[in-house]
Amino acid sequence: MKKHMTVLFVLCALLLVLSPAFAAGTKEVASGPVTLTFVETMTSPSRTTQILELIAKYEAQNPNVKINLVSPPYEQADNKLTLMLNSNQELDIIEVRDHTVKQFVNNNKLVDLTSYLKAWDQGDDLLPLTMTAAKTVNDTPYLLPQFFFVKGLFVRTDILAKHGFTTMPKTIDELYKMSIAITGKAPNQYGFGFRGKGSAFKISDILILSDVANINVDNIYKTTDGTFAFSTPAARKAVAAYVDLYKKAVPSDGINWGFNEQVNGFISGTTPFLVQDPDTVSMVAEALDPSQWTVIPMPVGASGKTYLDYGFAGLGIPTTSKHKDLAWDFISFMINAENNADFCRAYGPLPVHTSTYANDPYFSSGVYKSWEIEMSDPATYVFVKYPLDNPKYPAWAQIQEQTMQSLLLGSTTVDQAIKSWEDYWK
Amino acid sequence: MERKFYRWMLVPALLFLTAFIYYPVLRGTVMAFQNYNLFDLNQLKFNGFDNFKAVMSDPHIRFAQILLNTAVWLFGSLFFQFVLGFGLALLLKKPFAGRGIYTAFVFYGWALSGFAIGLTWAWLFNGQFGLVNDMLMRIGLLSQPIGFLSNPNLAMISVIIPNIWYGVPFFGIMLLAALQSVPNELYEAATLDGAGAIRKFTSVTVPYVKPTIVSTILLRTMWIVNFPDIIYAMTNGGPVNRTNILATQMINKVFKEYDYGQGSAIGLIIMILLFAYAMLYLRLTEKGGDNL
Repeated sequence: MKKHMTVLFVLCALLLVLSPAFAAGTKEVASGPVTLTFVETMTSPSRTTQILELIAKYEAQNPNVKINLVSPPYEQADNKLTLMLNSNQELDIIEVRDHTVKQFVNNNKLVDLTSYLKAWDQGDDLLPLTMTAAKTVNDTPYLLPQFFFVKGLFVRTDILAKHGFTTMPKTIDELYKMSIAITGKAPNQYGFGFRGKGSAFKISDILILSDVANINVDNIYKTTDGTFAFSTPAARKAVAAYVDLYKKAVPSDGINWGFNEQVNGFISGTTPFLVQDPDTVSMVAEALDPSQWTVIPMPVGASGKTYLDYGFAGLGIPTTSKHKDLAWDFISFMINAENNADFCRAYGPLPVHTSTYANDPYFSSGVYKSWEIEMSDPATYVFVKYPLDNPKYPAWAQIQEQTMQSLLLGSTTVDQAIKSWEDYWK
Repeated sequence: MERKFYRWMLVPALLFLTAFIYYPVLRGTVMAFQNYNLFDLNQLKFNGFDNFKAVMSDPHIRFAQILLNTAVWLFGSLFFQFVLGFGLALLLKKPFAGRGIYTAFVFYGWALSGFAIGLTWAWLFNGQFGLVNDMLMRIGLLSQPIGFLSNPNLAMISVIIPNIWYGVPFFGIMLLAALQSVPNELYEAATLDGAGAIRKFTSVTVPYVKPTIVSTILLRTMWIVNFPDIIYAMTNGGPVNRTNILATQMINKVFKEYDYGQGSAIGLIIMILLFAYAMLYLRLTEKGGDNL
C-alpha cells in the first residue's frame, strides 16, 4: 500500500513539473480572443515602445485578436528566435533580418507570402527595393521588409567651416583628402570617424570597392567576370588608400572604435565625417543643432559609382503558425504606408513605400533628402548584396576585423591581407 | 520503508539537475562532434573530430594565440585579485569607524554585471576622450594620449585591470569571513610563545584560512576562464586577436557564426582543461598542505 502511495506521489510531482508544457499544447482557440505571438529581434527600448503602440492600435480595431510581443535582448535575439523556430514553438509573426532569412528558408521555417502580397491593396505601392529585399532567397517573398538601412555621409558643417572648408566631398578621394587636410588643424582634431570593430567591413568595404568599376551586384566580393573583387588593381590601390586614411586622419584608437565611439567622435567634433545608417540621425539630432551638421549622399569611388548595401528587416510568418491569415492581417497593418512612416520616423531607418517619399515631407526633405537621392539614382548609387547565402559569411566579420587591424597596425602588407581574404572566400 | 521514501524525495531535485545541468552538458558534448550549424540544419550529422580540427587549425584566428591569451588573462587576473583581495580582508578585519559602510562600498563592484563594467572601463581607457588618458596627461606623465585598447601590447593589460577590480571583492568577502573565524586564543598563545606579527601571519592565519584560499582560488580560476563579458564589451577580442580568449571565441562561434558544433568543441576544450587543472591543483595543494 505504502509503495503505491509513493509511486502516486512521484507521479503527482512529475505532473506538477511538466504541466506547463502540456498546457501550451492544449490551448483552445474556439472561444474568446485569438492570441498571436510576435517575436521581434532588433530589440531596443524605444523601438519596443513604438511597436507596442501600434499593437494597441491594432487590438483596438480588432477586439478579437491579442498580440503577445516577445522581445529578446538584441544580442541574443536572432539565436533565440532560431531556437524557438527549431523547437517548433507556436509563433505567428517573426522579425526576419537580411542575414537570417536564408537560414530560416533553408530550415523550411518561413511561409511564402506571394499570394498575400498579390491580394494586398498596398502591394503596388512598395519600392522596387522593397520587393528585391523581400525576394532575397529563391526569388520568393518570404518576408515583407519593414525598413532599410542605407549608408549616408554625416558631415559636421560647422567644423569644416571653422577650418575654411566650404565644399562637400563628392568623391571618396575628396573625402579622404579633406579628412587628412583637416587633421591637426586644432588640438585633437582628426578627419574621419573610423570603424575598427564590430562589422567594420560594412563601412570599409564600401569605401574600398567603390573604386572597382565592375562589381557583381549580387555579391560585392566578386566582379562581373568572376574575379575576387579585392584582387583587382583598383581595389589594391583603394585598400592602400584606406590604410593611409587611418594613418593620417584617424586617432590611433580608431582601430578599436565601434558604433558608440564613432558617433561620439562625430558629436564631439573630433572626427567631422561619419559614414552611418539613418538610425543614427535621431541620436545626432538630440545632441547637435541642425546648423552644425548635415547628411549628404555617399561620395562616389573612382568607378563613378558607390556600391551601397541595404540592410533590412521585415516580418514573416513561420510555417508552424496556426493563424497564418490573421498573422498576415497584422503584418499588413504594421507595414501599411501610414504606420510604416510613423514607425520609421520614430525609429530612424528608411520606410518601404513609394508614397511615403512622395507625400511625407519628413522623408523628402532635411537630412533624409540625401537618402531619397540615393534611392532614386540607380546609375550612381548601385545597391549590392553581401554574400548572405554563403555559409562563410557569418564568420567573415571576425576574420576581416582581425586581418584589417593587423594591416592597419602595419603587421601585414596590403598584398598579404588581400591574399588572406581571397583564401578565405575560395 | 521510510528510508525509501526519503530517497524518492530526492527525485524532483535530480530531475531539475538533469534538465538544467546534466542534459545540457551531455548535449553540448554530443554537439561538439556534430556538424551543427544553424545556417543549415539539413546538414546536421556526426563529423568526428572535424570541429576540433577546424578550431585548432584556423589559419586566421590562431588557436595557440587564444590559448596563450587565456593563460595570461587567467593568471594575470587571478594573482592580483588574490593578493589585493587578501590584503583587503586583512585591512577590514580590524574594526574602525565606518567599517560597515566602507565594506559595502568596496564590495559594490562585485554586484555589477560584467558587461556594464566592460562598457564603463572602455570609456575610461578610451584613447581620445578617456579619463585615464586625461589624468595621466594632466599630471604630466603623458604628452600624447595612449590607445590603451588599440595598442596590441597594452590591450590585454587594459582588460585585465577591470577584471582585477571586479574580482578583488570576492576574495575580500570570502577571506574576511575566514579570517574572522580564526579563534583569538591562537593568537594569544602565539604571543605567549613569543611570535611576532609575521610569524603569527604565516603560522596561524594562513594555515587556518588555507582551505578557504584553496577553494576560492579554484572557483575564481573557473570563473575567470569562463568570463568573456569584460573583454567582449571592451575589445571584442581585438586588436589583432590579442585579447581573444577561449570563452570569447566560443561566443563568436555560437552567436556570430551560428556554429554550435565548433562552439561546443571549444566549450569541451575549456571543460577538459579546467578539469585537468583542478586535478593537478588539488593534488599539489594537498601535498604541500602540511608544510605551510
